[in-house]
Amino acid sequence: MSNRPSGSSWLRGTTIRKGGNGSSASTRTATPQVQSTSTTIFGGGVKDPSGRTSEYFSMDDQCPVCKSDRYLNPKLRLLVSACYHKMCESCIDRLFTLGPAPCPICNRTLRKLAFTPQTFEDLTVEKEVAVRRRIARDFNKRAEDFPDLRTYNDYLEEVEDITFNLINDIDVAETEARVARYKQENAALIELNIQREEQYAQYLREQEEAERQEREQRAAELRRLEEEEREEREKGRQELIDRLETSTKDAAKLVARSRAQAQKRADARTQSSAFGGAAKAFRGRTNQGAVVADEPHVPLADAWYAYDDKYAVRDTYFDPLSEDVRRDKDKVFRAGGYRVEEAWERALRFAVASLDLAPLQGLHSTAVAVEPPVISADGDVIMAST
Amino acid sequence: MDAVERANAEHQKQWAKDQKIGEGTYAVVYRGREVSTGRKVAIKKIKVGQFKDGLDMSAIREVKYLRELKHQNVIELLDVFSSKTNLNLVLEFLDTDLELVIKDRSLVFLPADIKAWIAMTFRGLEFCHRNWILHRDLKPNNLLISANGQLKLADFGLARDFADPGYKMTHQVITRWYRPPELLFGARYYSTAVDIWSVGCIFAELMLRTPYLPGESDMDQVRTTFRALGTPTEEDWPGHKKLPDYFDAGQYPKTQLRDLFTAATTECLNLLAKCLIYDPYKRISAKEALFHPYFTAMPYPSHPSKLPKPAKKGSTLPLEEFDGNVDFEGAGPGVRANPPNKLKRKLSAEELGSRPLARRLDFSQHA
Repeated sequence: MSNRPSGSSWLRGTTIRKGGNGSSASTRTATPQVQSTSTTIFGGGVKDPSGRTSEYFSMDDQCPVCKSDRYLNPKLRLLVSACYHKMCESCIDRLFTLGPAPCPICNRTLRKLAFTPQTFEDLTVEKEVAVRRRIARDFNKRAEDFPDLRTYNDYLEEVEDITFNLINDIDVAETEARVARYKQENAALIELNIQREEQYAQYLREQEEAERQEREQRAAELRRLEEEEREEREKGRQELIDRLETSTKDAAKLVARSRAQAQKRADARTQSSAFGGAAKAFRGRTNQGAVVADEPHVPLADAWYAYDDKYAVRDTYFDPLSEDVRRDKDKVFRAGGYRVEEAWERALRFAVASLDLAPLQGLHSTAVAVEPPVISADGDVIMAST
Repeated sequence: MDAVERANAEHQKQWAKDQKIGEGTYAVVYRGREVSTGRKVAIKKIKVGQFKDGLDMSAIREVKYLRELKHQNVIELLDVFSSKTNLNLVLEFLDTDLELVIKDRSLVFLPADIKAWIAMTFRGLEFCHRNWILHRDLKPNNLLISANGQLKLADFGLARDFADPGYKMTHQVITRWYRPPELLFGARYYSTAVDIWSVGCIFAELMLRTPYLPGESDMDQVRTTFRALGTPTEEDWPGHKKLPDYFDAGQYPKTQLRDLFTAATTECLNLLAKCLIYDPYKRISAKEALFHPYFTAMPYPSHPSKLPKPAKKGSTLPLEEFDGNVDFEGAGPGVRANPPNKLKRKLSAEELGSRPLARRLDFSQHA
C-alpha cells in the first residue's frame, strides 16, 4: 500500500490526525471535512482577514504521486511544495520524514516543513501570490520616499520586473541577486517602513477600540436617560393625580403647571447629556468639560521692541576692549557664535531703556522686595539695572 | 538681632514648610505654602554648610537671574530667606514637567499641542535672551508645566548673562543630549544660539517621543549629531575646525529631516531645521522663531488648559524638576558637566575673611 500510515489506519476504521481526535468515525458517505490541524507544522498559505487560512478543497482531489483520491481517503489533504507541486500528506510523510529528498515530479530537493496549504485552485496563482507577498515585504518603499513621481514609477517598474521574473522563472539566479542587493542597500529604510506600517496598524486598532468604547458609553447613557425619563414621567403623573385629589385649585391650572415642570426637567436633561458628550471628546486631556477655543499665535505680547527705533547700532565703534574679538584671528568667536554687536546693542539698550524708567523707590523696605519694580501691561518686568 | 536678621525673620514667617519632595546634591526641595493665602509653593533649601567657601554657584546664579526675570513662561522666584545656615528659595509650585509628559505613553500629542509647547518655550526663552541671559540648561526636564498648562523655564542654576567682549564662558554646560555642536567642540565664546539648539532638540523629541540625539559620551554626542544631520563643511559652518576641542568625527551624509519626521508639516520642519543649523550665526533667534510661519499656520496652538498632562500618581510628585542635580531616578544623562565646586573661584584667605557670612547675604537688595 502506497500511503502506509493513514492507509492502514483507514482499514481499521480510524483516521490519524495530527493533534486531532482519532476516534471520529469516518463513513465514506459523509462529506469529508478539511479540519486543518497541520498549520502548526505547515506554515504559509493565504490568510483571510480574520487571520485563518482557508484551504482549497475539491471532491476531485487526487494525489499525483500515490494516485490516492478522496474516494479512497476522505481525509485526503493536498499540500503544495516549494516547486509548486501537489502531494498528499501521507506521501509527504513517507518521502520527506528522513530528511530532504527530491521531488518525485521535478527532482528539486524539498523539505517536509516547506510544504504549504493550498489556497487557490490554480497553482500558478498560488505561486504568484506567494512571490508577490515576499517581494512586497522587502520592496516596501513609499511614494514619499522618492523626490518625484518619476523615480517612484521607475522603482515600481523595477519591482514589477523582478516579480515577473520570479513568477515565470526567468533569470532566477540573477533576479535573486538583485533582490539580495536591494535588501542589503536599503536595510534601514525597509525596517523603518515596516515599523511605520506597524504603527499605522496599531493606530487603526486603537481608534477602533476607542470608537467601540464610545459607542458603548453612548448606548449606556441613552439607556440611563430613558430609564430616568420614564421614572420621572411616572412620578409626575402620580403627583398630579394626588394634587388633583387633594387640592382645591383649578384642575386645568394644576395640569398646566405640572406640564411646565416636566418640560423644564427634560430640557435640563438634554443639556447635561450634551455636556457629557463634549467632555468625552477630550478624553485624556486636562480641564475636562470646559471647552476653550484655541487662539491664534501672537508673536510678542508686549512693547519691548518699541525701543528699537530709539537707537541704532552702528557698524563699528571705537572700542579697544573688543578689538581682539573683532579681529578674530583664530576664528573662534565666529565659529562659537559670539557677536560683539550684541554686546554693543546690550549697552545701548540699557542706556535707552533706562531713560523711561521712573526712579525706583522704597526698595529698602521688606515688602517691596517681593514685588518686581516695573511691570508692563502683560506682566513682563523691565529689568531694573545690571 | 540686627536689622538684616530681623528682615530675614520677617520673610521666613511668610512661608510654611511641609513635607520633603525631593533631594539632590546641593538642595532639598519641600512642598510649602504661603501662610497668609495658603497658596502652594516649592521651597528649595540649599545646603550651605557642606561647602567650605560659601554658597554654591548654581544657587547664586539661580537667585541672581530669577530675581530679575518675571514672565508668564519663566518660573517665578517668590522669595529668598535664610534659616540657620541654609539658604531657602521660595519658588512657584508647578505640577509636572515636559519630560514626564513625553514619557507618559498613554498621552497622545496633537500637532497643535506641540506647537503650543514650543511657542511657550520660545516665549520664555525670548524673554531671557532679550534680557541678555543665556539659560544654558534647556531640556524637557527643566520645562515645568503649571496646573493651568502654562509651560515655564526653570532651573537657572547654569544661567549667565551675555559675556562682555573677550570674556570666556565655560563650554561645559547644557545636558549632553541637548548640547549644541559649538559647545561640544569647546567654544568659549558663544551666544544665545546655544539655547536655540536645545529647543530644536526638544522640538524633535516632542515629535518623536524619544530623545533625538542621545549620545553616550561627549565624543559620541558629536558623532550622533553628525549622523543625524550630516557632517558640516567649512562652508556650512565657517571656522568650526579651529575650535579648541575640534576633532574629526568622520564623514556622514546629510539626510532629510523629512525621512525621520514623516508626519510633520513643511513649516514645522522648516523651523526645526533652522533651530538645528550648525553655524550659530545662521541659527534662528528666539525672536525670529516667534514670527515663524509655523506658529501662524493652522492649526492654532492648543489652549494651555487643553494640553495633555500625565495622570497624577499618589500625592508626591517627582521633584527632580526643580533642579538637574536632584536626580533620583537616574534617567537620561543628567550630567552636570562640572561638579559645583569646580565652578567656583577659589578665594584667597583675606578675601574670605572680609566676606560676610553666607546667611548674611541680603537678597532683598537689588544690586
